[in-house]
Formats: sequence, structure tokens, C-alpha cells
Amino acid sequence: MLSIKDLKAEIEGKKILNGLSLEVKAGEVHAIMGPNGAGKSTLSSVLAGRAEYEVTSGSVTYEGKNLLDMSPEDRAREGLFLAFQYPIEIPGVSTTNFLKTAVNEKRKYLGLDPMEATDFLKMMREKMDYVEMDKSLISRSLNEGFSGGEKKRNEVFQMAMLEPKLCIMDETDSGLDIDALRLVSNGVNKLRNKDNAFLVITHYQRLLDYIVPDFVHVLYKGRIVKSGDKELAKELEVKGYDWIKQEVEANS
Amino acid sequence: MLIENIKTAFTQYKDQAEVSGFSALREQAYHEFEKLGLPTTKNEEWKYTNLKVLANTNFESTCLSSGNVKAFLQNALLNKITANKLVFVNGTFNAELSEIIEKDNSIYITNLAKARSLHAEIFNQHFGKYANIENNALNSLNTALLSDGAFVYVPTNKTVEFPIFIVNIADSSDVNVLNQPRNLIIVEKSASVHLIEMYYSLGSNSVFTNVVNEIYANENSHVEHYKIQQQEGESYHNNFTQIFQEANTNVNHVTLTLDGTLVRNNLHFYLNGQNCNSLLYGLYMPHGNCLVDNHTRVDHAQPNCNSNELYKGIMMDKSVAVFNGKIMVHLDAQKTNAYQRNQNILLSDEATVNTKPQLEIFADDVKCTHGATIGQLDEEPMFYLRSRGIPEDVARKMLLNAFADDIAEKIKIPELVKLLEEEIEKKL
Ligand SMILES: Nc1ncnc2c1ncn2[C@@H]1O[C@H](COP(=O)(O)OP(=O)(O)O)[C@@H](O)[C@H]1O
Ligand SMILES: [Mg+2]
Repeated sequence: MLSIKDLKAEIEGKKILNGLSLEVKAGEVHAIMGPNGAGKSTLSSVLAGRAEYEVTSGSVTYEGKNLLDMSPEDRAREGLFLAFQYPIEIPGVSTTNFLKTAVNEKRKYLGLDPMEATDFLKMMREKMDYVEMDKSLISRSLNEGFSGGEKKRNEVFQMAMLEPKLCIMDETDSGLDIDALRLVSNGVNKLRNKDNAFLVITHYQRLLDYIVPDFVHVLYKGRIVKSGDKELAKELEVKGYDWIKQEVEANS
Repeated sequence: MLIENIKTAFTQYKDQAEVSGFSALREQAYHEFEKLGLPTTKNEEWKYTNLKVLANTNFESTCLSSGNVKAFLQNALLNKITANKLVFVNGTFNAELSEIIEKDNSIYITNLAKARSLHAEIFNQHFGKYANIENNALNSLNTALLSDGAFVYVPTNKTVEFPIFIVNIADSSDVNVLNQPRNLIIVEKSASVHLIEMYYSLGSNSVFTNVVNEIYANENSHVEHYKIQQQEGESYHNNFTQIFQEANTNVNHVTLTLDGTLVRNNLHFYLNGQNCNSLLYGLYMPHGNCLVDNHTRVDHAQPNCNSNELYKGIMMDKSVAVFNGKIMVHLDAQKTNAYQRNQNILLSDEATVNTKPQLEIFADDVKCTHGATIGQLDEEPMFYLRSRGIPEDVARKMLLNAFADDIAEKIKIPELVKLLEEEIEKKL
């Protein structure tokens, strides 16, 4: 589904991704871990199409297409979704209107008619239950005055509404208490199927107790320096990143 | 040429017996106007707003309606709202198109010419007491040539159940027209009212509308006052509004400038008692070569009052905006809170915004802040919407609508807000 080869990217002349490679197949869950500043959010921004980041070399192929050539909206309509680490507030844009527009723009792109209003409302109600979103939230402006946890839940709710193929979750767990974490994870698990894939960026093993990954990668200094299965995440939880940093320094 | 047209009009009016009651005031106003002439850009208050094109146009002051007005109004937004309506066409009261649904006879909703004889005592007590003509050429002009306008009187403890629309239509189907609407609103103690001034134009010739509003809010009263400018085509519009607040009054004002070649709004508040709240909101969205100039002034003359001002602009094409927000905190006005913001979004490299706060503070225990921004739409919300599959042009519209609706929503009549938001969306 996704093939990243030797990706290098920088911002304002600062090199952040330094030759990152990753293969993701449909049905897989990949966890990406790594110390602060390693480049995890940069990777997700580059994949989602944030214009400030300049890709200097390498390639990203998504479903056989050159992802880097596509506008952010086309990437989304082709099924890529990024749950932001820091979802912003957009005053004056109602959550409902925003989602209706997003869903129908995607349908238009795929050559489908807009959804009937009643079907749309039904779908909203159903998907809100996935993450037990408070009903009152959707009549408000997008994320305006939402708590940190509510914003993160709203990201997963949007994900459920848009039914993406490739879901990138950037530290969706940070700022969630244990109950919210369980809710969000359950929501994600309900969305998992053989046709979609997840890239789960996290600092904490605890999320991976709920969303069990097929692969765990360590991102450090803009590259994937170690890959393994879910046991690697447990090892990192106990030992931290220092041993990996030492390994990398020793090899260079 | 305008100056000659004005002279002719003034001479004609002088000969009419009907207006004799005003002859002394008219005379005085006309001489003031003659002395001052039209403001030029040498005048600091008119630095960015050039009226030269007006001076070089021929206008007719006494104009009849072309007869298209009725059909035009049929589709207007005000017909979709239950309200009292006072309709003026080229400055003349049109009883047929007007409609008063207020049942309480102690509330007067009528035209000025009628009120002057029918309610002479109230009229004489207030008329011309708030809007200054000295050193103000356009107020003088309005007073010298005034024909008619709205008169609203809400007695003590009364609430006008439905909003009052004051509709001015400049009909330039046949000639260039010069209108001088003049409105007088008196809201007595503990009374309340919703007023909506609407300006429309009809026809393809030039229009110059020069308005003066005097609004008096007696103690404990509540006034909602909205001004919606939708004159299109070659239309020049100057509006002077003086709102005079006694103690414990609340006034919420919203100015929406949705169209017009040149629009100058002069909005003045005078806070004459303690514990007043004054809210000033404005939205302008000029396109083409249009110019919108908002000059506001809030006089805090007494302690313990709050004023809050937010003006927003969406600038298209080669349009120009001027914002000048003056806050005067007088010596006695301790514990004043006065806030002011002006935010502008430039959708074109060729649009210009001139923004200037003007704080003059003579008391020492006050809180005053001001701020102005001019820039593009924010990148972050744009990216957020696009990352959900919403194309750039749709996302931009959503964000601009949100920016503009923030002001429209300050209007406290939900069905009117909805209709205005549709109008706004059409312009973006
Ligand atoms: N917009 C930016 N401007 C400048 N530097 C940035 C920007 N975004 C990220 N960086 C830098 O790039 C590095 C990687 O950041 P990031 O991708 O956010 O790391 P992570 O998500 O792994 O914590 C950091 O050193 C950060 O300071
Ligand atoms: Mg990050």
C-alpha cells in the first residue's frame, strides 16, 4: 500500500528526514516510536502533504501512485488520513458542516452522489458511538473549546467517518487518560480490516497493549534505525532509547 | 456639478412653505456647508477617502421613483421577516410600501415630516441635538437639504415587539440622485428596540446618499442597531450616526458593508452616564475598485463604562479599506474598559488597508487595548481542512464565511442572520 524509499526532507534548510525507508501492506499495523525530535511528526506531515516541508530526495508510492505529486486534498480523497498530534481549533466552522463537506467531497471525487441528509446523520450517530463522543460536541465549532482528550477523540471520529485506507496517528494517545485511551483504541480496532493499514506513532507501550502492532520501528535522527515486532516496544519501555542511540553512534 | 446642484436644491427648498419650520436651521446649515465645502484629502479625517469624483458629477435632489421599486422590494430580504417597515424612496416616505405592525399606540413609528407636527414637543427636544453640524460639511449638507426619514419614539418601559426596518432605496433609473435621509430615534428609560437600517439602490445612474442618524438612549434602555449597506453600482454613501447613551444603557451596533463604490461610515458613541455598555461590530468586503471607510469614535465621558469594538474586512481585487477607531477617555471616566480590534484578510495583492487606532486617554485608571491585523488566510486551518479531502477553493470559502459570519452573528435576530449569511456567501 505504502512504499517509502530513502526519503529525505528538510524545513528552512534544516535536514530532518535523512533517508527513511518503510514498506506498509494492507491489513498491517506499524508502530513508530522514537525520542522527541526524531522526525516522527515530520514524516506524518510529509505524507499528508504539508507544503512547508521540502522533500529533497527519495520517493513515496501509495497504491501505485506517486504520493508526493498529489495535493493534500487528493491524498485524503485517495484514502490517506492523518490524525494530528495537535488538532487545531477552527472557530466558525461547524463540526457537522465540515464533516458533511469532507464526506461529500470524497464521494464526488470517487464519482458518487452526495449522501442523503438522513443517511449522513445516521452515520454520524453510529460513528460517534465508536469513540463515545459527546453529542453536543458536533453542533459546536470544530474543536473550539474542546479539551485535549475531546480533540483527540474527534480525530478518531473523523477517521471513522472518512473510512480511510491508510491511517496515520500521530501521538493520538498523548494527553488521554486511561479510559479515553481504551475508548480511542477500541474505536481504532473496530476500523481495522484486511484492506486498510495503520501507522501508529507513539511514545508509550501502553497504547500498543490495545492496538497490537504487527511491526515496531524506531525512528532516530530522521531514519528507521531498528525494526522488530511488538516485543521491541516492550524492550523500549523498559530500557529507553539510550541503548539504541549508542548502537547507532557505534555503527556510524 | 455637485456644489451647484446643492445650491439649486437649497434655493428650491427655501421657497417651499412646507419646510418653513426649519428655515432657520437649514439656512445655518447651508452656510456652514458653503463655508466648508466637500472634504478633501488634505483634511486628516479624509486622508484616504477622496470625494473628488462626486464633486464632478451632476446630481438631482428632488427625484421621483421610477415605479420599479415595488417589484424590486418584493424579493428583498426584509420581506421574509416579520417586522415594522418604514420605506423611503429617494428620501420620500412611501406609505404604500411601509407597514407598521406595532399595536401599542404609545410607541411612535412614523416618518420625520409627520412627527414634526404630530409630536412636536418630543421632536423639538431631540432633533439636531446630537449630530453636530459645526465643522462637519456632510452633516451640514444633510441638515440643509433634509427631506424626510424615520422617527421612532419608544416611551418609558416599553419594548417594541418586532424589529423596525428603516429602508432607504435610491432609485437612479432616470437620473443621478442625491438623497439626504435623516433618522431620529428616541428610546426612553428602560425601553428597548431593534432597528435595522437598510440601503438599497436601483437603476444604473449614480447615487449619492448622505445619512444622518441621531439615536438617544435614555437610562436603562437597550438598543440594537444594525446598518446594512447593499447599494450597488455607482453608489456613494456617507453615513453619520451619533448614539447618545445615558446611564445603565446597552447598545449593540453592527455595520455590514456588503456593497458600494465608496462607503464612509462615521459611527459616534457618547457615553453620558455610568455603567454603559457599547458594542461596535463591523464587516466590510469590498471588491473591484471599491472603497470602504469606517471612522468610529467612542467618547467615554463618565466612569465605569465598557466599550468593545471589532471590525473585520475581507479585501478583494483592488479595493481599499480605511479603519480609524478613536477612543476618547475623558478626565472623569475612571474605570473605563475600552477594547478595539481590526482584522483584515487580503485576498489580493492589489488591495489596500489603512488602519489606525486613535486613543486619547485623560483618566488614569482605565483599561484600553487595541490591535490590528492584515494578512492572508491562516495556513493551519487551511491545511487541516484540505487534509480531510476538502479542496482548496471550498476550504477557503468555508474559512472566509466563518470569519465574516462571526460579525453577522452579532445581530440578535436569528432569521435575519441566516439571510445575511446567504448574502455574504454570494459575495465571496
Ligand atoms: N516547522 C519547523 N520549523 C523548524 N524546525 C522544525 C519544524 N518542524 C519540526 N522541526 C524540527 O525538526 C525536528 C523533528 O521534529 P518532529 O518531526 O516534530 O519530531 P517528533 O515528532 O519525532 O518529536 C525537531 O528538531 C524540530 O525542532
Ligand atoms: Mg511529534
